[in-house]
Amino acid sequence: MKEHIFLIIGMIALTDVCDTCAQLILKSSINSLGWQVSSVKKSLSLILQLLKIPRVWFGFLLSGFSLLFWLAVLARTDLNLAFSIDSMRYILIALASVLFLKEKVSLRRWLGIACVVCGIVFVVLG
Amino acid sequence: MDIPAPEGDSKAMTAKKSLTLKIFLFLVLTDMLETLAQFCFKKSAISSSFPEIDTLAKGFLFLKTVIVSPFLWLALFLVVSIFVIWSTLLSKIDLSVAVPVASFSYITVPLVSAIFLHEQISLLRWSGIALIIAGVILVSVSSVHNEGAL
Repeated sequence: MKEHIFLIIGMIALTDVCDTCAQLILKSSINSLGWQVSSVKKSLSLILQLLKIPRVWFGFLLSGFSLLFWLAVLARTDLNLAFSIDSMRYILIALASVLFLKEKVSLRRWLGIACVVCGIVFVVLG
Repeated sequence: MDIPAPEGDSKAMTAKKSLTLKIFLFLVLTDMLETLAQFCFKKSAISSSFPEIDTLAKGFLFLKTVIVSPFLWLALFLVVSIFVIWSTLLSKIDLSVAVPVASFSYITVPLVSAIFLHEQISLLRWSGIALIIAGVILVSVSSVHNEGAL
């Protein structure tokens, strides 16, 4: 049982790492274009520009892997446990944003993220 | 504020980005569309007459029946739309803001099932909902006062 739970946690971690990397790639690609999109027409041309960047496609691939790992998790465990552990993605995203995107995450934002993570665990287990 | 940021100066670019009500509402919309897409995927999978997939051949048969399901196409359409909206939003705000604010479905799903399906919401779940709302407010505020705050 103990080994089983570690396997589940590891697989969910893999899901979340893949997803975080995919988001990082997307966000850094958008940043590299340096646009602030404000109309539908512009947002469509943003997408076209994004699709020309090779690593964006790698990001799609990672999203696909993330989905596969997640399906494998769901086949093995119950939803409540899976979703509680999955809330670690909010922390991963914040860490990755600080480390790789140089976003400034203030104490207030960290506090907010901590509240969201605890809240999700409560909602799922409640 | 009116001075255009010099090109390549990423600091000047990120400082301008802050959460507005419009962006907030679009983040909530994305999250709801995501839930709807999940629902459609599930619906299309259930509609197939091959629930047990244990061989590759059965897997192909499953795909063959699923591919004609309108729910699958609706789900795929939703996924593409979500990508367009999400990318647009990310061009305006930090990733560390967008992701936590888009955690709204953890609130809407229990509330909707309480209202329409008359499910009971436990005290623990209510406190979880309150915590998520507090968290989303904190993250949002941290983005509006981007500079200098805490």
